[in-house]
Amino acid sequence: MNSTIYKKKSPLAVFLIPAFLFMALFLYYPFAMNIYNSFCNITGLGTAAEGFNSPWYLNYGKLFQDPIMNTALFNTMLLMILTIIFQVGIALLLALLIDNIKKGTQFFRTVYFFPIVISATALGLLFNLIFLYDGGMVNQLLLKFGVTDMIDWKDEAHFLFTMMTPVMWQYVGFYFVIIVTGLNNISPDIYEAAEIDGASGFNRVRYISLPLLHNVLITCLILAVTGALKVFDLPWVMMGAGMPMDQSWLTGTYMYNQTFTMGDVDYGSTIAIVIVVIGVVVSQAANRIFKEKDY
Amino acid sequence: MKRITAFILTMALGSAMLAGCQSTPAASQAASQAPSSEAAKPVEITVVTSYGGDDGNRANYEAAYKAYETATGNTVKDASGTSNEEWKAKIMADFETGAEPDVLFYFNGVDANKLVQGGKVVSIDEIRKTYPDYASNMTDDRLGASPADGKNYSVPVNGYWEGLFINKKVLKDCGVEVPGADYTWDQFLKDCETIKSKGITPIACSLQEVPHYWFEYCIFNHGTPATHPKLPASSTDEVGKAWAEGLNDIKTLYTKGYFPKNTTTATDAETFQLMADDKAAFAIDGSWKIGWFQENAKSIDDFTVTYVPGENGRKSTDIIGGLSMGYYITQKAWSDPAKQKACVDFVKAMTTDEVVSTFGATAVTALKNGTIAKSDTDSLEQAAMAMTKGATGITPATQDGLIQTARTALFADIKNIATGKTTAEKAIDACLAIKS
Repeated sequence: MNSTIYKKKSPLAVFLIPAFLFMALFLYYPFAMNIYNSFCNITGLGTAAEGFNSPWYLNYGKLFQDPIMNTALFNTMLLMILTIIFQVGIALLLALLIDNIKKGTQFFRTVYFFPIVISATALGLLFNLIFLYDGGMVNQLLLKFGVTDMIDWKDEAHFLFTMMTPVMWQYVGFYFVIIVTGLNNISPDIYEAAEIDGASGFNRVRYISLPLLHNVLITCLILAVTGALKVFDLPWVMMGAGMPMDQSWLTGTYMYNQTFTMGDVDYGSTIAIVIVVIGVVVSQAANRIFKEKDY
Repeated sequence: MKRITAFILTMALGSAMLAGCQSTPAASQAASQAPSSEAAKPVEITVVTSYGGDDGNRANYEAAYKAYETATGNTVKDASGTSNEEWKAKIMADFETGAEPDVLFYFNGVDANKLVQGGKVVSIDEIRKTYPDYASNMTDDRLGASPADGKNYSVPVNGYWEGLFINKKVLKDCGVEVPGADYTWDQFLKDCETIKSKGITPIACSLQEVPHYWFEYCIFNHGTPATHPKLPASSTDEVGKAWAEGLNDIKTLYTKGYFPKNTTTATDAETFQLMADDKAAFAIDGSWKIGWFQENAKSIDDFTVTYVPGENGRKSTDIIGGLSMGYYITQKAWSDPAKQKACVDFVKAMTTDEVVSTFGATAVTALKNGTIAKSDTDSLEQAAMAMTKGATGITPATQDGLIQTARTALFADIKNIATGKTTAEKAIDACLAIKS
């Protein structure tokens, strides 16, 4: 029976065709159309293209001259780096701390994971209230501590902190759960042997936990890097329209704004292609840089 | 045998998936041929209006559509939002992607051109062929014909005006007199300086989100009621220069520190909260804002509304107003026998003399009999009535002549003009270069 399945591939094709058709219809065809649209002049969603742009590569030239696109690319790259440092870094730290306690592990797991299950829109509104200029929680606390000049947390000096903090905070729990699961898979025998050999708490982490978590951490890093490209909802709710002064655009929010608010569908399509290209390049680079090890 | 079964199951699954995706002409045909008795069954209609968020007429709107629900048994799926550029863009995107509502309360100027030209909304004449008494309580000449083809499509509720809302308590605390009809721009600047020196924000306005009203009046101050509705061809023609001077007046207000400290990052709601909390003195907004003050002011008597200070050719008593919005029935709903009558009944219910009269105090109306005066008008409503009655000139907002994308680009640039990142001339020319 088994030998028949492995030798004859045709039955597999029958099962794969519907999935392939689905992918072709809802992924490859729209992507191909998106490339085509980026060369056309389209002034509204659902509006027919008014022919090709003149020259046909107009939008690609515009990309390089658009200062807001530069800002969006810079912010997106920055977000990737911050994601690695803060989301995965803090998650690792928390996971290692939790791994060393005997009671309450489940409680902390739930507490750290909780932000992920809350809608990003709700979180955006929540953090808007926290960072509100007049009457916001942070400014009220500052007033209590004697600060007289309230801070505009969304101004050009503070917007990065205000925008990135909730984004980082939201996904720490996600990586925390993955890393904790990885730690739980390390055999207690190894730790016991290390203890007999005199390994202290820090050395346990340095020589046992981290090396054995290597593959788990690589998975987290690749997920974090590629996930940073998709960040949209929280920044859109908190810093709508590139607030302040067009400084907070990300590639995703800028693409949405051009397509849906400005009605410049063809330019939005061009930005979408940039996002896909960056996604492919970055994920390939991440796969090469962070290689998994066989143990 | 197992392979045949697997193949049949796979094909069935694939067919089911595709069936879920495809349109069903047979089903829609059946729906269109449904017996008329089906149309009388209670239906759910989707309605989008600008009475969302913190709109002052939200409560009046909700009361009116709930009365309609009770009377007809139909249900209203309300998807209203706050009227801003994002809301307008979303509505257009909904129409373009086939996700339009059944009834829409929307602007009747250039903003609706795409809807009219695309055959997405039904004209009043067309509706009256089946329902002769549709909008019969309105004066047809005042319905606001579409610039696209001159036909009437929307049934207005209340006319609007834009004026200067004043926190009288703040002015009193600062030793500034409440302005009247002869208020000049120079006096206004002097008062703003006095208020600022007392540590209070003179003007509640978000340059980031809603600079629309200051844009309108600052430009109006360099024109007349006759020239104001005209659009410039470039920043160098007469109207273009007026626009540039008006935008530079906004820059002056910003430079002098009369707007809130966070005006380039604040939302409109945040800045108006300053008015409610007695932390700001002046705000320009429309007639629809009266309800907001009624809901949010500690005491409505602390607030009043008057003419925006004027300069140059514009008298302070010349105001911006008109009938710019109304209820549309979409072609999609009109073609649906189950929804057609429900939509017509809805618009009729929302535009009766009684309901219209609850939507803010104004003398600007399309009602043949005029609005019914409320017996319990408060001091803010009385001030509004006095202002509209004393107006020496009324002109529509010039921004209504711009297409949505051009207007979005211009208003996004106002904060850049104010902070010196671009010039008024560059912003005007960039806006005018955007074609539909």
